[in-house]
Amino acid sequence: MSFYEAHNLHFSYNDKVILKGVDLRIEEGSIVSLLGANGTGKSTLMKLFLGLLHPSSGEVMLKGKSLHAYSIKERALHVSYVPQSTQIAFAFCALDMVLMGRIAFESWFKRASQTDITLAREAMERLGIVHLEKRTFQTLSGGEKQLVLIARSLAQGAKILVMDEPVSGLDYGNQLRLLETIMSLSKEGYTFLKSTHFPEHALMLGGYTYALKEGHILAHGLTSKTITETLINELYNTNVALKQTLCGYPVCIPAFVQTK
Amino acid sequence: MKNSLLFGLIVASLGASMLISLALGRYEIELGTLWQLLVWKCLSVGSAPHDVTLLSNIVFDIRLPRILAVVLVGAALSVSGGAFQAMFVNPLVSPGILGVLAGASFGAALGIMISNSWLGVQLFAFAFGFLAVLAALGVAKIYGKNGSQMILLVLGGVISSSLFSALLSVVKFVADPYNKLPTIVYWLMGSFSAVDMKTLISVAIPLLLSTVILSLMGKYLNILSLGDDDAKALGVRVAWVRNSAILLATLLSTLTVVVAGMIGWVGLIIPHIARFLVGADNRVLLPMCALLGATFLVIVDTLCRTSMSIEIPIGIATSLIGIPIFVLALRNAKKGFV
Repeated sequence: MSFYEAHNLHFSYNDKVILKGVDLRIEEGSIVSLLGANGTGKSTLMKLFLGLLHPSSGEVMLKGKSLHAYSIKERALHVSYVPQSTQIAFAFCALDMVLMGRIAFESWFKRASQTDITLAREAMERLGIVHLEKRTFQTLSGGEKQLVLIARSLAQGAKILVMDEPVSGLDYGNQLRLLETIMSLSKEGYTFLKSTHFPEHALMLGGYTYALKEGHILAHGLTSKTITETLINELYNTNVALKQTLCGYPVCIPAFVQTK
Repeated sequence: MKNSLLFGLIVASLGASMLISLALGRYEIELGTLWQLLVWKCLSVGSAPHDVTLLSNIVFDIRLPRILAVVLVGAALSVSGGAFQAMFVNPLVSPGILGVLAGASFGAALGIMISNSWLGVQLFAFAFGFLAVLAALGVAKIYGKNGSQMILLVLGGVISSSLFSALLSVVKFVADPYNKLPTIVYWLMGSFSAVDMKTLISVAIPLLLSTVILSLMGKYLNILSLGDDDAKALGVRVAWVRNSAILLATLLSTLTVVVAGMIGWVGLIIPHIARFLVGADNRVLLPMCALLGATFLVIVDTLCRTSMSIEIPIGIATSLIGIPIFVLALRNAKKGFV
């Protein structure tokens, strides 16, 4: 029995076929990066894994059980969603945002219990953002927002985090810090399914990579083996060279860059 | 701490404005006399004031039902406005967004035209208020299998509102211009002058109950304002929460039309002012909307019936007062509706 997987997943939206038979397996505690050009179905695939969409055929299985056999509350206990730090029209403070991760487990009409508040604070402490708890979400920087949303997932208690392009809109420093957070959470046993626009980020995190093109999985496997020069150029229609640095770490060098 | 102080303050001003409203009117009662009467009647302490039959008649039979209706309607409009704003993640939404006000007005006008009883008018207003919202939801449902629900709901509401406004014009056009038309027009301007104990009793419980339940749904509305995907992934049954909130808000809005006709702007501006005072957290915001809306409408209604020799229709007054307040509130819009 595998941990979290999809077998022969098809999905169409208004007669437009988006996914054509996708197989994806996620081991517990691993990081899976989804690569692919814009509009290849990465977001759709993640929504199917979150149970937000129903596949036209095929099924997503979580711990040997169909994802849709779980109640929405049970599902939230296993899988959580870290959206891009979306524009939120109303101002909530950071602690309240994190507390929203507890919503499914609070009782109707009651305010958050002390246990819930403690869980939320612990989650923020783990990510080193407890000092932000009174700040309004909108006034936080992109990196801080993303950490608040991750803290919300931790407070939710789910061990699987599905992230939609977590670094988008972040500056270079915050990008690296976020990847580091993902890496350390994964060492603690958290499982990640994330889409990314940067093959380099997948390489930094290691784990597994699935490359998606026109609704098919073009290549998959260990990230270090899967991401090759040919794959990158085929996925993104680019001309880059994948070179090993002296310490053995691969970097992408576009053809237009002058090298010796 | 700051919030409880604020709530105390608003409750006190609601009480004060209700007392003052009880005292003011064509027959003015001194506050001291009013107090003596209230204490004597309710607690059976002290002595009866002079002219007790007349005073009781004015205070308990005429003014009190009206003021209580004003309190309930003010709270209902503001809470349903606040709830709709949270649901649609848009601070510019008012309770009429799904067509409920247009539908209820049409229903009332139709009721005035074809029935001679007050109850008939109220039933028509109620039924068509709900029908208009169902029409909006129906339009959204036809196309909304995969797409964004919110946009379709807004469009459904626009369609339903326009439809019932057009039908209202038809009724106005064919209504008897000497007898029925003025009643319809007057109704559409909103007024509490027709409220009696019977109306109050029949609507008080559903109004109060829905206002309280909707106010208590704050934390779920908070989640809805994050967007559907986010809310679902957090383990919330989005459709269920949204439909219950729409049902309650619709019930509230139609009942306000049943009681007092069309009263615009309250449901739009009060949530803004409340948000300015206590922030966007619906758990605090909605109860604040209820109190603030009630206080606001008591003050406006008192002005309407006392400031001139004839009574000013309250719908006109709320618009005239509401528009400048709204322009001021828009200054906050740039700051993300804090």
